[in-house]
Amino acid sequence: MSTKTKDAINPESQIQNPKSKIQNRLSSHPSHKVDYTRPIEFEFNGKKYTAFEGDTVASALWAAGVRVLGRSFKYHRPRGPFALTSGDTNAMVRVGDEPNVRPSMKLVEPGMAVESQNVWPSLNADIMSLTSYGSRFMPVGFYYKAFFRPKALWPTYEKVIRNAAGLGYVTTDTPDTYYDKKYEFADVLVIGGGPAGMSAALSAAKTGARVMLLDENPYLGGHLAYERQSVDTKNGGAKAYELADQLAQQVLAHPNIQVELNTSVFDIGYHLWVGAVKEGWTNTDPDSIQNPKSKIQNPEARLLKIRAKSLVAANGAFEQPLVFENSDLPGVILGSAAQRLMHLYGATPGKRAVVLSANRDGLQVALDLLVAGVQVSVVIELRDQPDSDLVTVLESAGVPVKTDSIVTKAQGNKGVRGVFVSQAAKELPLSPGGIKAIRGTKEFVICDLLVTSVGWTPATGLLYQAKGRMDYDEQRAEFLPAHLPPKVHAAGRVAGAHSVKAELLEGEMAGLNAAADVGFGKGASKKLQNEVAKLKAAEPVRTSALTYIPGGKKSFVSFDEDVSIKDVRDSVAEGYKSMELLKRYSTLSMGPSQGKYENANTMALCAEANNQTIPETGTTTGRPPFTSVPLGALAGRHMEPVKYTPMHDWHIARGATMMNAGLWKRPEYYGDPAAEVVGTRNSLGIIDVGTLGKLRLYGKDVPKLLEMLYTNKWSKLAEGGVRYGVMCNEEGIVSDDGVTANLGGDEWYMTATTGGVTGLYQDIEWNLQSGWDFDVHAVNMTDDYAAMNLTGPNAREVLQPLTDIDLNNEAFPYMAARQGTVAGVPAILMRIGFTGELGYEMHVPAGYGLYLWETLMDAGETFNITPFGVEAQRIMRLEKGHFIVGQDTDALTNPFMAHLDWAVKLDKSDFLGKPSLVRIQKRGVEQKLVGYEMLDSNIVPEEANQIVVPNPDRPIGLETIGRVTSSRYSPTLEKSLGLCWLPVDQSEPGTEFTVRIRGELHQGKVVPIPFYDPDGKRLKS
Amino acid sequence: MILIDCPNCGERNVAEFRFGGEYNPRPQNPDDPASDAAWVDYLYLKENKLGVQKEWWYHRAGCGLWFLAERHTKSHAVEKTYFWEAAK
Amino acid sequence: MSLKLLKQGLNGSKSLTPMWREQPIKDRYDVVIIGGGVHGLATAYYLAKNHGITDVAILEKRYIGRGGSGRNTTIVRSNYLTPEGILFYDESLKLYEDLSQDFDFNIMFSQRGHLTLAHTDASLRTMRWRAEVNQLQGVDSRVISPDEIKELVPFMDLSDHPRFPVMGALYHPPGGVVRHDAVVWGYAHGADKRGVHIHQLTEVTGIDVEQNKVVAVQTNRGRIKTGTVVNATAGWCTLIADMAGVKLPVETRPLQAAVSEPLKPFLDTVIVSGTLHFYLSQSDRGEIVTGASVDPYTSYSMDATLGFAEGLAGHILELFPSLGKVRLMRQWAGLCDMTPDYSPIMGFTPVEGFLVDVGWGTYGFKTGPVSGKRMAELIATNRTPDLIAPFKYDRFFEGRLVGEKGAASVGR
Repeated sequence: MSTKTKDAINPESQIQNPKSKIQNRLSSHPSHKVDYTRPIEFEFNGKKYTAFEGDTVASALWAAGVRVLGRSFKYHRPRGPFALTSGDTNAMVRVGDEPNVRPSMKLVEPGMAVESQNVWPSLNADIMSLTSYGSRFMPVGFYYKAFFRPKALWPTYEKVIRNAAGLGYVTTDTPDTYYDKKYEFADVLVIGGGPAGMSAALSAAKTGARVMLLDENPYLGGHLAYERQSVDTKNGGAKAYELADQLAQQVLAHPNIQVELNTSVFDIGYHLWVGAVKEGWTNTDPDSIQNPKSKIQNPEARLLKIRAKSLVAANGAFEQPLVFENSDLPGVILGSAAQRLMHLYGATPGKRAVVLSANRDGLQVALDLLVAGVQVSVVIELRDQPDSDLVTVLESAGVPVKTDSIVTKAQGNKGVRGVFVSQAAKELPLSPGGIKAIRGTKEFVICDLLVTSVGWTPATGLLYQAKGRMDYDEQRAEFLPAHLPPKVHAAGRVAGAHSVKAELLEGEMAGLNAAADVGFGKGASKKLQNEVAKLKAAEPVRTSALTYIPGGKKSFVSFDEDVSIKDVRDSVAEGYKSMELLKRYSTLSMGPSQGKYENANTMALCAEANNQTIPETGTTTGRPPFTSVPLGALAGRHMEPVKYTPMHDWHIARGATMMNAGLWKRPEYYGDPAAEVVGTRNSLGIIDVGTLGKLRLYGKDVPKLLEMLYTNKWSKLAEGGVRYGVMCNEEGIVSDDGVTANLGGDEWYMTATTGGVTGLYQDIEWNLQSGWDFDVHAVNMTDDYAAMNLTGPNAREVLQPLTDIDLNNEAFPYMAARQGTVAGVPAILMRIGFTGELGYEMHVPAGYGLYLWETLMDAGETFNITPFGVEAQRIMRLEKGHFIVGQDTDALTNPFMAHLDWAVKLDKSDFLGKPSLVRIQKRGVEQKLVGYEMLDSNIVPEEANQIVVPNPDRPIGLETIGRVTSSRYSPTLEKSLGLCWLPVDQSEPGTEFTVRIRGELHQGKVVPIPFYDPDGKRLKS
Repeated sequence: MILIDCPNCGERNVAEFRFGGEYNPRPQNPDDPASDAAWVDYLYLKENKLGVQKEWWYHRAGCGLWFLAERHTKSHAVEKTYFWEAAK
Repeated sequence: MSLKLLKQGLNGSKSLTPMWREQPIKDRYDVVIIGGGVHGLATAYYLAKNHGITDVAILEKRYIGRGGSGRNTTIVRSNYLTPEGILFYDESLKLYEDLSQDFDFNIMFSQRGHLTLAHTDASLRTMRWRAEVNQLQGVDSRVISPDEIKELVPFMDLSDHPRFPVMGALYHPPGGVVRHDAVVWGYAHGADKRGVHIHQLTEVTGIDVEQNKVVAVQTNRGRIKTGTVVNATAGWCTLIADMAGVKLPVETRPLQAAVSEPLKPFLDTVIVSGTLHFYLSQSDRGEIVTGASVDPYTSYSMDATLGFAEGLAGHILELFPSLGKVRLMRQWAGLCDMTPDYSPIMGFTPVEGFLVDVGWGTYGFKTGPVSGKRMAELIATNRTPDLIAPFKYDRFFEGRLVGEKGAASVGR
């Protein structure tokens, strides 16, 4: 062996004594990410294993000799890691209570419980794997062709199919986990911490730009981190991992660069809004940890939302799997996976390896294996003239390199036990399946590891999301960025640069240009740009056009979904010719990896089956997320807003049952609602109405505004007056109602519905800002005022001693408003009566709300003041025949239908909805909202019960002609009454009707409203 | 998250805004029976452009301005934004 | 095992024939249908099957089922609010029940039950309204209590912990999910078999109207003479109608959806929450299939957004807190043509021979079969069938909007 050879095979191996070392682990090396001094115990399928700090689940189990981690989706074939990246989705495991964990991305933690998924009854004896033997009867899309005859049996078949499908499982007792989110900003966002990404970050940072660098791994370096060969850079021949460390040190030390590791970018949205998830992140924020409500377990992921000003995608490439028979067998791995195992984790990939190579990387992997003490039985080289420097080294180390050869099949049960190799006959130019075995040259080679290195697929998914366009490069057999939108750049393998030198320079160029996009520096020099172009052009042509080795039935394009080459061809033969139809029918790329390792092969196969070129077939658009994201991380903290009135705690202390009213909480009742009605009607009650919409209106033109907003007239409302009004939208549909008071001095006060006020305020603003030339200033005070209604015959007596306002009936009559103080608090009082009793609705600054409430409760004690809730108010308003917008009206209700003819003044010159109402009045209405009472007062309809007439043509012999919208038993009148919709010709008082209540028919009749105190004597007294 | 350029506040996340629909001024003399068709057009019919659309936005979580934007309805490029007065 | 599978298993790929053929394009057809989605394909299918009208072309800009038909969340139900709506949707559901046998192709209609949750007493009232009207129309639909919901959906948090606790639900047992693509392919197969021409990658670039009458359509593959054009596009219906000079009450908005990674079966019903704006079901493959409301502004972009995923995940976990570690796998969007009254626009327009089957909002997939059947009847008889009369274009001019809006906020 020459000196040169020795150097290439790494002197380390010479001094190692494998026997004295840890089983299946190579001796420590600076490139390792594992720390042999820190062993960690964990479990897999109930059995204990030892890992080392820095190990992933996949590396630890591999080192422990475990290759089968799970079973595949359709045929339950044994599967293990093949890429040692996030793409190992066919070998996902359960970790603790988390399903579908990528074994190559999950770091082992002490005590971790790892389980296989989709196995029954066990990983080793999976009964469902028998489906593999029947696979000829389970072709692509088999479920479309069977199981529907007889029709009645489909639900049973479906159950079987559902149970067989799915991967991980969920349990009801998995605790709610607490996740956080973080907003970030960057002048230049660099995705990927490999040579190109680090180079881009450094060059951008040097211009003064704020740079953020993200990488999905727990370390920087990208492919350099797991490579050991010397690399040709302008700095001269450092080893790849050494260069990674040097660059990483510079990046980490640079004050302008923020590095986030374990962070996967999954979404690039419009205007460079970038979503990334940082996993393995530990929350140290004491607030959130100590918050008992947060149910914090161990927050595992954090969402980063980044607004980038410019972006460099340097997220590399996927090594391309070659499809051949049984290429899914555990033990068939990618060249980069073998390097990751050895050089990151010190794990021995196998004992006897065969390397299938179609490029320089493959030969390098063979060398690396040799150095690691793996016996390399043979290198099967698809090319006729592989790189002679490496071939020489290999051959001198005793490794035969067979050129023009192929692997046709991997053999084994739960792992590779050998491979069939053949001499190859090539069809030039190389088509997707352009290498066939020459008959009679087949050989069997015993091995426990097959490593394949046949080419790379740029990871362009994120660039597609960023609206880049990729074109197919025939020479390289890669889709490469052809047009990128402004402020988006690509560098390194994702852009087709494969040599380290080209990657570094292209990174530098992209970093400089990205910085220049946002005003830092002048961008990359012409010289640099030319050099990058020259280097990239000089790179060797790769052979990733090769997709599969012909022959064999179990040749899977998709490991996620068990879709074979034959399935692709069959799908095309059945008419699913375009990539999109093919995907949908065959389920290719629909699995957890979203096709990362199968898209390029699918495209080539689809093109071939259609007799088209790859560019003609075209690629498919990548849909977000680029990598899957936990729902919890997307959700973040549970932040459903809630609004409380100032009296909220009082209500709770008083035992109120609370209900939702929009975003607010309100007391529904404190005890018996009927008693609350009786207490109020007989003496005195009080209700918190703080959830009402409240607007203050200032300016001399407020009456003009009101004329436009409401259907009725306002210009003559004198100071101190209050008026009720209805608002419509331009379609003439009732949109809101409420009262407005003229407080004098160009100040007005408006109330509106809880749900409607936000929209109303915005609409007022819209009108004021777009043509209503009114001197009006509107302020939404809804959250700033507390409000309560003191109501009942004794209201005046209780309130008068507390206020400087004269409450005398003449001084402060019904439908009047006054400003003054109550219990020393500045207040707006309106004498209005939703309940039908004497009442004062008081609006005070929110901070005084509770104080005033408690003061009124004390003052009212002698009159047995009754706090009442929404339910009692509903009963009382119904007794008065008042409707509720949104309950008694719906999206088609105009005021003429709701007995509001009196409030619609079509003689006004204009108001919102008037043109529609003019037309509606002309057409007339078909339905009306009327009051009713049930003939039997013990029968109380449910709201929404239908009013029906017999019709034998209808399914149950009844036809609906109307419905009940409000219904209560009135404790005051001792009747069952309410509001209902009826056809106009059946809406006259006295008309009887039939209502269907819980399936039974009952009689009601139309009666005039109000039901209670029709003359309003109580209100006005 | 697209950015909308509020004429008062500058570029902000779209989440701060409420979309107000395409610009569609109310017809003159809407009460005139002869304008029935124009009124229905105003209430219901839409241009619904694929391209640059003139539309209303409200800076809900900001300054409270209602303004107009010319936004491409597919690329979301916001070509310009301006006060109502400039739209007339 | 089905005979078809047996044959394929024994004979291999040789027995395979295309589901639909590529036909040479003719320069005239009796009927030209624009849009190769469920609606267009079903119209062609029923024209041929029920009325013997087979000189029909489907013109599809890309590939069949590329629009809303392949982007919806596959939910089918008939528990609508208005009697006219219910009759219509129920006919669709009944057609769906027999489609697998009709097509000889399994559309995997899984009638697993549909729950619309009520979180406020207002929505409980709306649920009861729907249930009452449904029952009168013979539709199996009733309001159930949280206890009954717990039995159907053990994963749902029915405590008072959620911001909006579940107060009840509208339960609709015949509702469920269908394999949406299979419906597209089944109709395409059936139409092709009966002589309909399906032209993919054929884009309509203009519609020739003479004296207010359609005479031809222009395409990227030449001019096609015809007296009857059906606009059965979703998302782009305005653009097609513009070509004929017809203005529509339609606004296009993206509707986004997403699926999780596959899980073992844990959810056997379809769940809809109007208050929390989401719906979800579990596909036969094990994915959680979920969606929410249309985007808050108009757009023709079919890009999914991060903001949507965040909001959706938050709402799902509010009710299904144990799913926090489940991963979202894929997001997408489709375009919805929203009308003012949440109802479609079907039938004749002011331009003679230009028919529409548009404005399907978020519920087009559910009605593919009935729309196709009744549009075919309209074309064959030249009169509007009663069942679709409420949805005619003229209603906006006559002030006769459909009353589905009340329930639409909780729809899907």
